[in-house]
Formats: sequence, structure tokens, C-alpha cells
Amino acid sequence: MELFLQQLFNGVMFGSTYAIVALGLTLVMGILNIPNFAHGHLYMLGGYITYFFINNLGIGYWGSLLLSLVVLGFAGVLLERIVFRPLNGQPHINAFIAAIGALIFLESLALVVWGPQGMRIPNPHPQIFQVLGITMEAQRLLVIVGAAVLIILLHLFLKKTTTGTTIEAVAQNREGAMLTGINVNRVSSMTFFISSATAAVAASFLSPIFILSPAMGAVLGMKAFIIVILGGLGSVPGAIIGGYFLGLIEALGGGYISAEYKDVFAFGALILVLAVKPTGLFGKQEG
Amino acid sequence: MFTKPIHTKLFFLALLIAALFLPLYVPDAYMFQIVITSVLFAIATLGMNLILGYTGQASLAHGAFFGIGAYVVAIMTKAGVSFWIALPVSGVVAAVIGFVIGLLAFRTKGHFFAIVTLCFGVILFQVAENWIELTGGQNGIFGLDRPTPIPLPFLGTLEFYSQPAQYYMVLVVLLLTLFALHRIIYSIFGLSFMAIRNNEELADAVGVNTFVTKMISFAMANFIAGIAGGIYATIMGAVSPSAISIMITFNFLIFLILGGMATLPGAVVGAFVIPIIMEVLQFMEDYRMLFFGALLVVVIIWFPMGFVGGLKAINQKIIAWRQSKTSEDSNA
Amino acid sequence: MRNLKHLLFTLIIGLLVLGLFCPGVYAKKNVVTIGFTGPLSGPAAQYGQDNVAGLEMAIQDINSAGGITVDGKKYTFKLKTYDDHIDPTAAVNNARRLRSRDGARVIFNPVFNTLAPLMQVNQQRGSEFLLMAYTSAPEVDEMKNPNTIGVPPPFSVYVGAYVKYAMDKGWKKCAMVVTLGAYGDGWRKEFKEAWIKAGGEITADQPANYYTETDFSAQLSAALATKPEFMLIGGPSATTALVIEQARNLGFKGGFVMVDQAKINYIAEVGFSGDLNKVNNVMGVCRPLDTAPKELMAPFVERYKRDYGRVATSENTLNYSAMKMIAAAMEAAGSVEDIQAIKAGFSKILPMDPKVNLMPYFGIQDSRLIIAGSVQKVENGQYTQPMATVWWTKTKADFEKAVSKMTDIGAVNVHVPLEGYAR
Repeated sequence: MELFLQQLFNGVMFGSTYAIVALGLTLVMGILNIPNFAHGHLYMLGGYITYFFINNLGIGYWGSLLLSLVVLGFAGVLLERIVFRPLNGQPHINAFIAAIGALIFLESLALVVWGPQGMRIPNPHPQIFQVLGITMEAQRLLVIVGAAVLIILLHLFLKKTTTGTTIEAVAQNREGAMLTGINVNRVSSMTFFISSATAAVAASFLSPIFILSPAMGAVLGMKAFIIVILGGLGSVPGAIIGGYFLGLIEALGGGYISAEYKDVFAFGALILVLAVKPTGLFGKQEG
Repeated sequence: MFTKPIHTKLFFLALLIAALFLPLYVPDAYMFQIVITSVLFAIATLGMNLILGYTGQASLAHGAFFGIGAYVVAIMTKAGVSFWIALPVSGVVAAVIGFVIGLLAFRTKGHFFAIVTLCFGVILFQVAENWIELTGGQNGIFGLDRPTPIPLPFLGTLEFYSQPAQYYMVLVVLLLTLFALHRIIYSIFGLSFMAIRNNEELADAVGVNTFVTKMISFAMANFIAGIAGGIYATIMGAVSPSAISIMITFNFLIFLILGGMATLPGAVVGAFVIPIIMEVLQFMEDYRMLFFGALLVVVIIWFPMGFVGGLKAINQKIIAWRQSKTSEDSNA
Repeated sequence: MRNLKHLLFTLIIGLLVLGLFCPGVYAKKNVVTIGFTGPLSGPAAQYGQDNVAGLEMAIQDINSAGGITVDGKKYTFKLKTYDDHIDPTAAVNNARRLRSRDGARVIFNPVFNTLAPLMQVNQQRGSEFLLMAYTSAPEVDEMKNPNTIGVPPPFSVYVGAYVKYAMDKGWKKCAMVVTLGAYGDGWRKEFKEAWIKAGGEITADQPANYYTETDFSAQLSAALATKPEFMLIGGPSATTALVIEQARNLGFKGGFVMVDQAKINYIAEVGFSGDLNKVNNVMGVCRPLDTAPKELMAPFVERYKRDYGRVATSENTLNYSAMKMIAAAMEAAGSVEDIQAIKAGFSKILPMDPKVNLMPYFGIQDSRLIIAGSVQKVENGQYTQPMATVWWTKTKADFEKAVSKMTDIGAVNVHVPLEGYAR
């Protein structure tokens, strides 16, 4: 039972990260309808930027998190303008290649700037709690709570503000939104900002308990991609539920069935879902 | 083919002759190695061209089928089966596994199909890493024997330790693949492939069985990938999970898109040009991948049709320029 | 815009043509090129770069001392490195290039997955090269490749040392959370066999991918639920530090033993900012400072930190030593090109004065260099005296004879004959 609860806790923590990273990606994929395969690498860059503020400029943890959010947000906008906007109207596979180019670039950039060795951000919340026989690190609790807060904030933003509803309108129906006179380019930039900023927050939450390395974004990026498809392209609730779902599957499958095949569960789950519902859990009828 | 201008035919003929006599003038073992692997990758890229370029289905499991072929040859030759039997089997096994995957994957379309096949690719990679009894785990299968020598009348035996022998092996397979694909693409099958790519609903409406057609294209593509993988195993003499990794798929994809999708020369050009660029860029050391990433973005933005498409466009411009010039001259 | 497009196109084509037909600049006369192909980018980049650093330092030292004299001629060395990001195709291309264009006869590679295909080409007539295999995978020895030399000891050496140590401690229950990978698979298999044979029990085997994952709580929770007395862990050092931290946070009080890829000093300094109390009861491969006479090693460790900004590990020290031995072997062989003679040169020069080659290499057996496998642990915030395993001798008498000839590094020498190697 203790083990089960511990795995559940781990699963929820991972699910939280997956959910916010996938949330950013689903907005981008829904709006531009391009597969931003470099999203995980933006996340990686976010971790390094936070590291830079804490380590090189001596700014506190929360301050660095905010700065990193802004800097990476603009990096995302830049990426959209330079790499993806010129490809508008071309086959999607071309945007996919461009994304691969971008991720190779970002990973090499981190390698050149920060070197190959793993780096750590000192843990700002090293306390450990024992509840019901399970161990909870304060920073991990922060990830769970912080992610929930972020999700609620984003939800309010998308539903209650004009800018937010515009974004969601474009995500759900690009052509329709254009017909109503929405400036799609502006929305694209804004979405990329939000998408990258959430990735930066996720990275800042996690980097004190993990290690920063140039290659750290690859796996997460791929998983975010899977969650987005699993939940349904462009669907916000789909990304959130898909994220928690994947975190739990991995923790329980990895802990109870087979650690070697841990990742297979995630990918297998996606295949099963799509076999039953080809457009994802919350997907529109036409893919 | 008959409609093509005579100088195009002559160009391809010259290229063929140059390819046949390549071992006579290739400068060193290094260049030769790159040519051999490029020819090999061109075969697999042609397979991807069939499913992605002509049928419009972005199969991101292509590298996995390449890997399956490699493992089949590795496992069979380790068990003492002749390479010449194992090679066709590798293509068949890849096609059969592809058939099973296709049954599920073709329920989805577009992005979804790409991601589902990507997932299958990752799963196959993990199986290769973890099913140690069959695949040797991460170490893979190593110390493979070269193909059994073929006795040639009057010339002695053809041993596959040497680079020239390996080269002719891959060249023959490449030419066969090109020939077969040329026949397929200009057949009624090829037309239905392209009909699906251009508009699946329309193809369906005019009576093309889209599911079956896509399955056929997928099976052919995977067969070719499997054969290429099988040859890869014997040329490298070792197979490890890197042969089935997602990077292999990405490489083929880059070769195909930058070479020029939906053209036969494009896939081949891409498989040569990209590895050579990578080699030329070695002097940049730490900055190489940084530059390559940027280059990829720039090229895809400026040459969305790939190198072959770019060349065609430039060629057309030159023709247009000449025509305008001659008309100016005649006016003068 | 259109002109720029054409310019770019011409530039790319031009670059390609240049690359195709440029015959390559051969190394200058009297300069011997040493080749390296390995991961310089990607998840294993640091590992590859640490390897390169050791070679660079050795070449610096050899050249500043005036190089080597072979057949009355002076030679200096030059290192040429290419990145293969553990892709077999790239590794073979790089090796071909190093051999045909850069004229290298000696090529280093540090990963088994690329070594296997390289061993297929290093005997090809006219393009032979001596492959310096920096891998502890015993499979390299199984392939019996005459043009290969294994640099570190086979990892099975440490398996024996750990089993002995844990049994002496009275431990019975072991859980394994080792890295996935060729090397991790091998470790798990060998340790499991040896530990069960010695009467121990494996309570959990929960491998994890140390290269791509950063959270191990799923595996660790499952492993700890079986109440092990100690755990076999390890992969790249930085991640191994995380595993230790996460396991301790989950309440694990027992001991750790680490596979040889994880470096105890790196974990302490980078993972725990130098706080040795955080690595109490952790056993691993000896830190470099205790693997060679201190007065020689201390300046080396300092210099590495200064020049590369990283903590020295056995990747640097062993490659440094290997490069020094190559130089000496070339002198002994009287050739910088005849690789069989160079390989034979190794048995003439070993054991060497550690003032020259730093590490106490003892000899060469078939295709594997012989060096004792030293392990040590941290107790009460202190590094303990290392335990050096002599694995290549079968009889007690040979063991004592070997010990009397070995460089004294202040370790306790123990005799754990290694099956398949001990003679």
C-alpha cells in the first residue's frame, strides 16, 4: 500500500509536468497546425536560463523563474517568426523538418554555451515530509501545486479574457477565426510566448531536483507530443488529462510491471487510444 | 520516359557509367565508405519516398523497419543461415510486421498517423533494447560474417570483405529498386497512390480502395527498408539498437525532404548530399551541429521542394531567361 | 532575395564539390596523427570529451618534452578528433577518414556499440589501424581482434571486488537500479550471477535509463520496498548522484556500490557540492588521486581542473596513460606505422615508471592492458584506503610476485582471479 501511494505520488508529480508542457504544445499545434518537435528543447533551454539567473547573476529562485519565463517566452516568439512563419502554407512535413533543425540547433547551442556536463540548481526547498508512510520532498510538492495553479491560471486566461478566447478560437478553427477578422499572425506570436513560458516554468520547477543537460529535452518533447495527440490536437482539457494519465501509467507500469519497458506503456497507451478513437480523447471528428 | 529530352537520357547514362566504374577513380577508402553508405541509405530513402512522397502518408516508423531488416539478417546469419537467404527474409519480415502495424495505424490520418507510427518506432526500439535473448540488448549482435562469397565464372570468387564488392552489391540493389519503383509509379497502382496523396476523399469517391492501396504502399516501402537494413547489417558487421532508433527515421526524412520529395532522383541526391555536408562540416568541430541545425531550417525555408526541386526551378529560370534573350535578339 | 537564394545554392554545391575532390591534407612530416572518434555531442558528450581531454594532455606533455625518437628521427604528435554521437555509420566513416586522410594509424574509441563495427574494418588490407578500445566490456576480448587494445580493465574485475566486500560486510540482500545499456546489461548479469553464486540474494532488478531519465523514484520505490541491505547502482556520474540523493530522500539507509562508469569523486563534488558526508557508505571505483602515487597525481588533478574546468576521472587518467604508452611503444617498436610492432612494443615497455605514464599499468595480455582494479568507499565523510584487485594471476604465488613488481599506490592488494583472464 505504501509503495502504491509512493508510486501514485510520483506519477502525479510527473503528470503535472507533462500536463503543463503538453498544454503549451497543444496550443501551438492547434493554432499553427505545425508539429513543433522542438518544444522539449525549449523546455531544456528554460532550465538553463533559470540556471544562468541563479548561478551567474545570483538572483533568487522565484525571481529567476519569472525572468526565465519572460526570456523563454520571447525566445519562443523568435522561433515562430524565424522558423515557422515562413513555412506557412507549405506541407506539414516541411515544418517538421524545420523543427528538427531547430532542436538540433538548440541542443548544440546549450552544448557550446554550457558544456556537456550535467549541472544542478541548488534545491530551494530541501525539506522532506513523511505522510502516510510515503516520502514527499517539498520541491516535488511544489511541482504538483505549482502546476495546478498554472493550469487554473491558464484556464482563466483562455476562458475569461478576450485575448484568451481569441487564442482558443484559432486553436479550434483556424479558418473560421480568420473569417471573423482575427489577426492570426499576432495570435501565433502570443501563443508561442505562452507555450514557451509554460515550458520555462516547468523546467524551473523541475531543475532543482533534476540535472540540466543539453539532451534533457528530447524525451520530454516526444512525450508532450504523444500527450497532445492522445488528448486530441488543440484540446486543452485533453492535454491536461493526457498528461496526468501518462504520468500515472509510467509510474505504476514502471514500478509494478517492468522498469525496462516503462516507456512502452506510454507509447502503447497512445496506440490503443487512437485505435479506438482515431482523433484522440477530446479530438474533433476530422483529424 | 520517351518524352524526356535526349540530353536528360544521356545525363543518366553518363551517371550510370560513372557509377559502374567508380571503384577505379574513388580517391580513398574514406570516400568509398561514404559512397557505399549513401547508396545504401538511398535505397531506404526511396522506400520512404513511396509511402510519404507518393502516397502522402508520413510513416515515422521507417527507420524501425530498416532496423528490423538489420536484426533479421544479424540473427539469421549468426544462426548460420546464408546471407543470401536472410536478405530477402529481412524484407519480408519488415513487410509483415508493417502489415500488422498498418492495420492499426491506418485507422488514423495526417498528424495522427505520423505520431502513431512514431510510437510504433519507439516501441520497436525499446523491444530491441530489452529483449536481450533475441537482440543482444544494447550490445546488439556483433561479429557478423560477411555474405558467403559468390563464385564467378572466369573471375574467381566475389568476396564481400572488400569495399568494391560491397559497393557493387548496394549499387545493384539500388538500381533494382529504382527500376521497380519507376515501373510502379507509372503504373495504375502509382496513380492511385498519388490520388490518395492529392485528395483522399476524392480518391475514395472515384472508387480507389484507399485502405488497401495505402497498405500496399506501406508494405512495399517497408520491404525496401527491410532489405536496406539487411545490407546495412552485413556491411557494418554489427547491429545495435542505434540501427532501429528514431534518428534513423529522421535521417531518411531529412534526406528525402531536402533531396526532393516525390521524385526518384531526389531521394538519391538527398542520401548523398546530406552525409557529405555532414562530413564537410567536420572542421567546425563543436559548432558543426549548431550550423547544421540552422542550415536545415534555412534550406527548408528557401528550398521547400528540396535540392532537385531547387535545381529544376533554376533550370526553368535559365530556360526562360534564354528564351527572353533570344526573343530580344530576334527583335533587335 | 532571389539572388541570395542562388548564392546559397551555389555555395552549398561548391562546398560539396570541394569536399568531394579535396584529396585531404596529409599530416606533415615527422608528425604522428592520433585519431579519436566518439560521442562529442548528444547525451554522452561529456564522456567523450573527458576521453579526449586525457589524450590532449598527454600529447601536450610528450610534445613539450621534445616528442619521441624513432629510427633516429624526431616525431611529435597531433590529435585529430571527430564526433560520431555513438552512430556506427559515423564511427566507421570517421575511422576511414582518420586513416586515409589524416594518416592516423592509432585510433581511440570509447563505446562498445561503435567499437564492434570498427573491429570489422581495422584489419582491412591497406587500411589497418590500431584500435584503442576504451571500454570495460569483456565482449571486446571475446572478438579476439589482433589490432585492438583494451585500455581499462574489464568491469568483471570490479564485480569480484564488490562481491567480496559486501560478503565481508555480512550483507545478503541486494537491489539493483543500474543504467540500461549494453554496459549496464552486462553489469547486471554478471553481478547477479556472482552475487547469487556467493550466497547472496537479489531482491529487485529495476534498471533505468540514466541517459534520458532524471527521476528514479518509480524504480527506487519499488526496489526499496524489498528492504535491501545495499544497492548496486550507477551509470553516468551526474545521474548516479541523483539516484543516491533520491534513494536517501526515500529513506534508504543502507550501502551503495556503483558500477565503474560512476565516479565517486565526481559525484561528491558535482552532485553534492563537495559534501562527502552526503556520500557516506557509497563504494565505487577509486578516485583518481588514489590510483597513482599521490605526488604525481595531485598535480594532474589540479591541472585538469584548471584547463578543463571539470573534475578528473579515470577517463582522463587512463587515456592519458594510454597515450604515453603508445609513444613509448612506438619508440620500442622502432616504427610509428607498423601497428603490430607497436602493439608488441607494449609488452616491452610495461611496467613503466609512473613518472612517465602516471597510471600503474602492469602489462598487456592478448588485447587487454593490465592494471589492478581499485575500489574504495566513503565513510564518515572520508575516502577510505583503496582496495586494489589483482585479477590476472591464477595462483597465490603469481599474485605475490605481481604485487612485488607493482607500483605502490598505498592500496590493500587483494587477489580475485578473473575467470577467462587469470593465467
